[in-house]
Amino acid sequence: MNGFHFKVGLFAAASLLLGGAFLVYLLHARGFFEDTFHLQLAAASADNVAPGVPIVFSGIEIGQVVTLGLNEAGGILIHASFLERNARWLKENSTFTLDKPLVGGARIRVESPDLGAPPLPDGSTVLLQVSDISREIPVLVERVKAVLANVEHLTRQDGEIHATLGNLKTVTGRMTGEYGMLESILGSPEKARAVTDALDKTRVLITRLDGLALKMDGMAAKTDTWLFAPDGVAEQTRESLAQVRLMLGDAQSSLKKADALMTHAVEISANVKDGTQDLAALRTEIDEAVRRANALVNEINKKWPFARDPEVKLP
Amino acid sequence: MHFLAASIESLGAKVTGWFAVAYGMAAFLGRAGRLLLDRATWNRATFDVVVKQVYFTAVQILHVYLGYVLVISWLMVSIILSTARDFGLTEFASEMTIRVLVLELLPFLTALFIALRSGSAINTEVALMQVNNELDALAHCKVPPMQFEFLPRLIGGVISVVTLSGLAGLLALLMGYLAIYGLTPAGFAPYTQTIAKIFDFQIVAGLIAKCALFGLAVTLIPVTAGLETPKKLFMVPVSVLRGMMRVFLAIVAIEVVSLALKYI
Repeated sequence: MNGFHFKVGLFAAASLLLGGAFLVYLLHARGFFEDTFHLQLAAASADNVAPGVPIVFSGIEIGQVVTLGLNEAGGILIHASFLERNARWLKENSTFTLDKPLVGGARIRVESPDLGAPPLPDGSTVLLQVSDISREIPVLVERVKAVLANVEHLTRQDGEIHATLGNLKTVTGRMTGEYGMLESILGSPEKARAVTDALDKTRVLITRLDGLALKMDGMAAKTDTWLFAPDGVAEQTRESLAQVRLMLGDAQSSLKKADALMTHAVEISANVKDGTQDLAALRTEIDEAVRRANALVNEINKKWPFARDPEVKLP
Repeated sequence: MHFLAASIESLGAKVTGWFAVAYGMAAFLGRAGRLLLDRATWNRATFDVVVKQVYFTAVQILHVYLGYVLVISWLMVSIILSTARDFGLTEFASEMTIRVLVLELLPFLTALFIALRSGSAINTEVALMQVNNELDALAHCKVPPMQFEFLPRLIGGVISVVTLSGLAGLLALLMGYLAIYGLTPAGFAPYTQTIAKIFDFQIVAGLIAKCALFGLAVTLIPVTAGLETPKKLFMVPVSVLRGMMRVFLAIVAIEVVSLALKYI
């Protein structure tokens, strides 16, 4: 056996085998062994679309644009081809969107929200939507320009913000003065000093009022002692009043005695003779007086100890 | 004035020299091509020399070469991937990897590899044979040097460069897949899609043609440079130097033209 021929033979066979396998793989990858699925995309404009533009599903390329041209009505018709194995992602409810990212070439994005939907038939025509970021940029730039102009207007030399900032500067400048925040609010150190002086005076006044209140507390305590001590005024008053009551009770009993006396006198006089009209009148007068005295005593008893000093009138 | 005239004269001599070299190569290639089509050429002896040439150019260095390709591919794939990730262009990484490695870098490096190892050897051998009158002796013995010495070398060179580039490309594709997707079959479909997108008929045909031209350049130029050697021994190194320079320029020119055809 010739080792050198064997090695060359092995090399040649392995290379041919690998080359052949790669060729078959390549043909498979390019869809040589399967049918091609065709689709027509109707678009308003053919901007950014060219043969070879990829059609991607979930970020993976599944087909590409083959040709594009105008139809009878002047609309754009884009022919796209897919491998049979990739066509299963195309459903009747799939949407086709042309994407033109800022980086990278244009591509057509397929979105199939419901993979259970019926498949798209071969050769059907679908609508191509356009979402072009680069077309929106000029609009965006215009709006940003307007915003910037407004900002510029606000921040100009004689503008409101400038004036506000100036005022703020004055205020904060005053804040750093002797009287701080007070000065910044009132405007000058003199006014601020007046306020602090007033506050000082108030403080002194409050201290004095405090002392006064303490004194008054002491006085009230003394008054209490004076009034309600065992030998105080209140006690004495109560005793005096008790005596008055006793006196009144005596007066009442005396009056009752007088009443009884008068009754006896009337009976005696009636028995002696029919009596006299004078005695009858006297009797009425005494009755009236007794009744009034009684009422008076009762009233004093009821209203005690607030009753005024009643005047006992005797006939 | 004299200086200007001398400059123009020297330029003219150089251009004439280049034309002569180009004509010599074209004429040699023409003779080789005619011989290739001749039925009488394809006998057992010629075939044996071709096999020997393929063995020395490709098989003998295969393990070294594949190790070298492995390291280069892994490095390039890693660099491309990390750069693509940094710039947020990961989706283009696989395509970029395949284009850079399989289509451009690996065939170029293969050509340089073969030129340095076999091209220089061929140049030296032919130059020594020329100086030692061995070629005349062979011709005198009815052993045409074109058929038994030169044509097998050209065929062996072309076969070697095409095969080695192809193997390197396959290895790089594998490396790229492993680097991007890891040891899972998950990325097979998108990777297949990318490969399908890149390798259309024109690209594959262009790649094979480019590799064949590289193979031709690394053998044809050293042979013609060796044949040009004046019959003096000290001219052999000069001949190898000139031959190698021409090989380098030819390889770069082929690469540039192929890139221009592909992308412009």
